[in-house]
Amino acid sequence: MSYAKNWLYTLGLIAMLGLGGCQDMTDDLSPDGGDQRPAVSAGSSGSAVSQLAPSFTAIDSLGTTHTLANELATADGVVLYFTMWCPTCDSHMSHIRSALMGDFPNVTFLIVDYVTGSVAASRASQLANGFATFTVLTDVDLSLFNAFDGSMGTTVVIDSSGIVQLNEDYKDGTKVRATLEALP
Amino acid sequence: MKFVVPKAALLMGAAVLFSPITHAASCCGGGSASTLVLPKFSSAMVDVSFDIEQYDGFWNNSGHHNSDPPGSDLSQYRLNVGYAHRLASRWQASVIMPYVWNDNQYSGLSTSSDGLGDTKLNLWYEAFDGVTCVWKVRKPADLKPAAYFGTTLTVPTGVSPYDEVDNNFDITGLGFYRLDGTMFLEKTIYPWNASLLLSYGKYLERAVNREFGKYVVPYDKNLGDRRLMTVSAGYTVFLDSMNTVTYTLALSDLNEDEATINGRIDETSGLKKRSAALTAAYSTMDRDWAFKATWSHALDRDGWGENFPTTDVLTLGVSHVLR
Repeated sequence: MSYAKNWLYTLGLIAMLGLGGCQDMTDDLSPDGGDQRPAVSAGSSGSAVSQLAPSFTAIDSLGTTHTLANELATADGVVLYFTMWCPTCDSHMSHIRSALMGDFPNVTFLIVDYVTGSVAASRASQLANGFATFTVLTDVDLSLFNAFDGSMGTTVVIDSSGIVQLNEDYKDGTKVRATLEALP
Repeated sequence: MKFVVPKAALLMGAAVLFSPITHAASCCGGGSASTLVLPKFSSAMVDVSFDIEQYDGFWNNSGHHNSDPPGSDLSQYRLNVGYAHRLASRWQASVIMPYVWNDNQYSGLSTSSDGLGDTKLNLWYEAFDGVTCVWKVRKPADLKPAAYFGTTLTVPTGVSPYDEVDNNFDITGLGFYRLDGTMFLEKTIYPWNASLLLSYGKYLERAVNREFGKYVVPYDKNLGDRRLMTVSAGYTVFLDSMNTVTYTLALSDLNEDEATINGRIDETSGLKKRSAALTAAYSTMDRDWAFKATWSHALDRDGWGENFPTTDVLTLGVSHVLR
């Protein structure tokens, strides 16, 4: 057996794998860390930072109707957190409750449930997961999910004038806190 | 729009580690979805397996087990194709590529998607020269186990949250390179066998400028160090034809430290999972072919995991050794 030949064979296999991945499958093999956020006009309608948040009407898990306008009328800002009742979501929501909500009593925190499909199922998930005190919006038609370009863990901060100040994944809460502290 | 459950993808690269190497490695070789071990004196091995993973709730960050939303039926399927090649008398390398299908039903959402998962490249050193399986212990040297020392590079060929995906439902991989160092000890005194696998993995920090297809302010992220321990014990039954059936029970404990965001610890991350796996492997007399079935089960009880889905995995596979 030619060991040198075998080594070359293996290296070739690895190279083929890498090249194949680079061509069309993924950007993770060589991540681009540059800032590629598209430019948006401040104050235009949309879900990106600096845009005017789309208005919404949604029903919570107790059947109460919420509108963005009404929420902003009585709060310094609104935080939307998109959940699918998964481990990561649970961890984020626990962190929001323990590390943020108490420090920002004039901010309204709304959980958006975009997977359970009914008010009753949403309430059941809320209770089963130990978040009875949260206000959970049941996004049955995915209107909030689509309007805010949502995904698992997406966190949106909207200031009292309706401007989006943050729209990205919840991580360790540092950025959400900084955004809330800077609310006008 | 295609949908995939993100927690299924969170599990990618983790669940596969729970499959034990299925039988006496130095004699017959062994295979799992993450590791292939080539028998001594053979030149190559092909291993194909299919995982059927069913979700059954999750453990939260405190270790409390929660159920999935009512009406949920969450599944992931993986086809793992592996090839192992002998490089030298004590060295072997292998590559394993998975293809992933996700199929998930919520009461308000039906989702499905598929794509390549993360690839694993393994390099093993065998710290022994002969077959260590024995029938009877006649001298102290007969107790010497087969010792393997290896490294595995996980290559993020899957579609991760940081790729060009429409949303979190499209992902099939973690998005991070990881380098694992592994020690695998195995001893067979027919008909019994036992093994110990210890593994420590470090992810490579990466830049992130996109989350689920949405460009964000760039930041650096790294996942926490990963530790895995698997112990197993098995019993081999010899059939009249001298073909064998080996039954193996394995227990695994997986821990991953908290991730960092721009160097800060992310308290919402990290994971822990314990599971048990039962394997039956049928091998032909010449050990060239092996057919395997593994059922891996995680107890849906408080304290058996943290920040991680609870799943059952049925794995069906076949290995062919080329002499």
